[in-house]
This record gives sequence, structure tokens and C-alpha cells, in this order.
Amino acid sequence: MFTLRNFSGFFSDTLRLVTKGGRLYYAWVGFLLLLIAIGAGAYIGQLKDGLIVTKMRDQVSWGFYIGNFTFLVGVAAAAIMLVIPAYIYDWEPIKEITILGEMLAISALVMCLGFVMVDIGRPDRFWHIIPLVGRLNWPQSMLAWDVIVLNLYLLLNWFVVTYLLFCAYTERHYVKKLVLPLVLLSIPMAVSIHTVTAYLYNGLAARPFWNSAILAPRFLASAFCSGPAILLILLQVLRKTTRLSIKDEAIFKVAELMAYTMGFNLFLTAAEAFKELYSGTEHMVYFQYLLFGLKGHTTLVPYAWASILCGLAAFILFLVPRTRTNWVTLNIGCVLIYASVYIEKGMGLIIPGLTPDVLGDIYVYRPSFTEIAVAAGIFAIGFLVFTLMLKAAVPMMLGEFTITKGRTSAEAPPQQI
Amino acid sequence: MAMKKKRYALVIDSRKCINCKACVVACKAENNVPIGNFRNRINEERKGEYPKLSINFEPEQCHHCADPSCVRVCPTGASWQRKDGIVLVNYDECIGCRYCMVACPYDARYFNEAEGVVDKCTLCRHRVDKGDIPACVETCPSKVRVFGDLEDTTSRVHELLSTRRYRVKEPQTGNGPQLYYLL
Repeated sequence: MFTLRNFSGFFSDTLRLVTKGGRLYYAWVGFLLLLIAIGAGAYIGQLKDGLIVTKMRDQVSWGFYIGNFTFLVGVAAAAIMLVIPAYIYDWEPIKEITILGEMLAISALVMCLGFVMVDIGRPDRFWHIIPLVGRLNWPQSMLAWDVIVLNLYLLLNWFVVTYLLFCAYTERHYVKKLVLPLVLLSIPMAVSIHTVTAYLYNGLAARPFWNSAILAPRFLASAFCSGPAILLILLQVLRKTTRLSIKDEAIFKVAELMAYTMGFNLFLTAAEAFKELYSGTEHMVYFQYLLFGLKGHTTLVPYAWASILCGLAAFILFLVPRTRTNWVTLNIGCVLIYASVYIEKGMGLIIPGLTPDVLGDIYVYRPSFTEIAVAAGIFAIGFLVFTLMLKAAVPMMLGEFTITKGRTSAEAPPQQI
Repeated sequence: MAMKKKRYALVIDSRKCINCKACVVACKAENNVPIGNFRNRINEERKGEYPKLSINFEPEQCHHCADPSCVRVCPTGASWQRKDGIVLVNYDECIGCRYCMVACPYDARYFNEAEGVVDKCTLCRHRVDKGDIPACVETCPSKVRVFGDLEDTTSRVHELLSTRRYRVKEPQTGNGPQLYYLL
């Protein structure tokens, strides 16, 4: 009973925390809400007129939405990048920031599910793919697997974050026997969500660009540098704006790990490109379209090379200790990695997979205004979820706001247990 | 009549095709296919320059594969296959994710904008179930298409595949296509 009452207190206090903030906080939330409104308006238009308002057609039947989905699954998976050293090697400086990684995973998953929702032609039937409620074509369909693992991963992270914060709020130490197995479970779960997402493309013999054995390893390698890139910038912001102390060495350690994964990612990309271009089978056309253009269509070429060059530059910046520990070059590196992987795992993955189409024709896909507006709205939802979670979590993690502390004197603290 | 196992297939003698597109029109009329979408098509292959030139026409539609990747990937089971091999979409189950379109090596499916679901050739099951032949087969003036049951050893398709050389498209995808092109 006490727990229940405390939990309702936890809930209402969380609400109070997220609704009160400084001018900057309100401005940021207002900006996100504006983006969400724009996205919602565009989505209503899409609901009314159908997917014809997007630039997706029968030749390129997946586009910007699914590209963003794929990228964000990687971001969600990357939370383990922080959990692994923290718990396997018992490396203390990272441990305190793993909860931030888990919250990032939750936000990324919310965006993932959002992108799936806006991509389907009959969103009124989305319940068909809800596990237990709908009738999933499991274990045959990789999409069914993906829905299951993404939801489980969301549930797992949500539970761990809520539990840890609730313990901090009630000023109790968390039960290690409960948390440790769950956190350890999140490691294979994170690997599995991105592996399954890779298999979603990998298993299609009709699309040779994706039908490569190293697609899943490439997914993981790129995810493990893009997810932490977002976190590293975020950690610096949090250090400045809150009293959360994050040691420099934790940030540099993560940056070092990112250098290795980026190097591995570039190696895998090169291995893939060599196999395709040197053997020169008829499957080469997709790589050709991506890297050099085909039949005069060069839409993807600048993006593809930008992705490779950004990745390479970031790899060098993060490999050299002097640039890794310099804040300016570190942040440039983060942005470069983000850009590189966003192109590679987004449009750089989806579009050459479908172009040229099975008849050899080229349909040049460029997202429509609706697609960009809806995507912006979904990103804003994700950032909003993340912002609100952080707003409530940081004071609780710091012990500034608990069941007994952090209130103005007018608000009487609840009864002690 | 005793229920016997059936396996419907189409044998196509594309050298007879004159690109009149009667099959395309018949299909649209028979199945009320939306404007802008087609369930079958005629692929054109041009070669050479005057006076040494040639043009080949090759009708194509859903191959009603033996192991269809579109059915395998469907997250809800809306894409399904009848025992006689016809691959269909259950429109009430389809969520419109278009994974099947991505998985199809033949570009046989299209997105029905008005309904928000994926649609495709049904091999005119409403006609076939009455013992009729598909509209595209019936209408073809040069008898390019031959429709029949491969399990029935007296059928014309069985005879053609036993006596003539043929090829199937994209066999490397493992789909086991059931549109047989005579050589």
C-alpha cells in the first residue's frame, strides 16, 4: 500500500516537475510542440488523401519514413554502448550515465514506432501488429519479429528507468538482484533489435543490395557510433545546465570506443564495396547508383560520398587522443558521425535497395513536403519525450528532488514510511 | 467429384505476343483495377538499329510462386496462398506496410491508394473457381497464355512443360515462380 501511495506521489511529482521550468525550458518545449503541430497537420493531410501525398510509389515503396525508422533503431540499440563497459567491466564513471542512455533508447523507440505508424497505409489497423492483440505472422515475418523485440526493448528500458527513478525518489537503494539481470538482459536485447531490423532487409532475395551477410554487423557497427554521438553532446549540455557531474574521462572513454566502432564500420563498408565493385556482377548496379550514379541519375552520389568522408574524418578525430580530448574537435566529430550514419543507415540504405527497381527502371525519389513535415513532427515527439524524462529524472538522480526534499514549504511532504 | 490436389500455372509463349495489350485491358475491366494501376503488363525489349533490329514482348504478372517471399514477409498474414497455388491478399487484414512489395522480385504488386492496402493479380479466382479461365488468358488474340493445372497430367500446361523447353524468371531468388516462358 505504501508503495502504491508513494507511486502515485511519484507520478504527480513527476508531472509537477515537467510542468515547471525556466524560460529556456518553456521556449524549447514550445518549439517542439510547434513542430509537432506542423507534423500533425501534415499527417492529417496524409490520412485524408492517402500515401499519394508522399513521393513513395510502387517502384520505391519505402522512403524517408522507413529510413528514419532504421536509423533510430540503431540509436535505440546504442544505449548498450554505455551499459557494456559500465556493468561488464564495472567501470564506475560511466555507470551513472547509463540511465541517460536508457532514456535515449526509450525516446528513440517512441520515434521508431511513430515512423512505422505514419508509413502504413491503414493506420486504423495498426492493432493487427500489436503482439497478443493482433494476429502476427510470427515466426515467419521479420517485421513481426521486429515489432515484438522493439516493444519488449521499450518495455524493458521503461521499467528499468522508472524503477531506478522511483527508488531514487523514495530514497531507497534499488534492489541489485532485480536491476542487474534486467540491465544485463538489455545488452543482448539491444543487439537483437538492430539485428532483427537488419534481417528485415537482409532476408529479401529480391533486393541484392540488402541481401548481404554483413548487413547486420554493419548495422551494429554504425549504430554503436551514432547513438553515443548524440549522448556525448547531450552529456556536455547536461553538465552545463544541471548539477549532474559527468567526469571528463567518461566522455573520453566513450569517444575512444566510438573510434573503434567507426573504424570497424568503415572497414565493413569497404569490404562490402570491394566485393560488389571488384566482382562486378549484375548486382553492382545498386552500388553504382549509390556511389557513382546510373544512367545520368546522380541524386544519391553527393550524399553517399559525404557520408563516407564524414565517417572517415570522424574516425581520425576520435582515434587521435589529442583531438579526442579537445572539446571543439570532439563535438565536430560527433556531428560528423551523426551526419555520416544518418545518411548511411537512412536514405543511403533504403533508396539504393529499391533503385533501380526489379525491371531496371529508375524512379528518382525525393521526400515530399508532407514527409519532411511529418518526420519533423515525430522527431519533435521523441525530443519532447526525452526532454520531459530528463527534466524529471535529473533532480531525482541527483537526490535534489525526492519524497522528502525539493518542495516549497507550502507543499507538505507526504507521510514518512 | 473427388477433390484432387491442384496447382495452377501459366505457360507463356511470348514469341506470339503482338503487344496489343488486350490482356492488360481485360484484367482492368474484369477486376476493376484503379486508374494508374495494373495487375499485368507487357515488358518490351528493343535491340539493334535499322535495318538489323528486333523487338520482343513479354507479358508478365504475379508468378504465383511455389514459395512466395511476399507471403513469408507479411506481418499480419494478409498475404496468403491457396492450396492450389494462387497468392492472394486478404484486404481486411492488410495494414498497408508494403513489405510484400519490397520482397517481390517481379514487381507484381501495387499499392491501392484509395484503400490503403496492397493489391495484386488473383489469377481471376472468381472465374477459375467456376471452372473458367482468367480474363487475360481468355482475351488473348494470339493465344500467348495457356492456363491450367500442373497436377492434371492431361492438361495442356502439363503437356507443354513436358515437351517444350522453357525458362522462369529470377529463379535465383528461391521463389519458385509458376509463370513458365517457352523458349
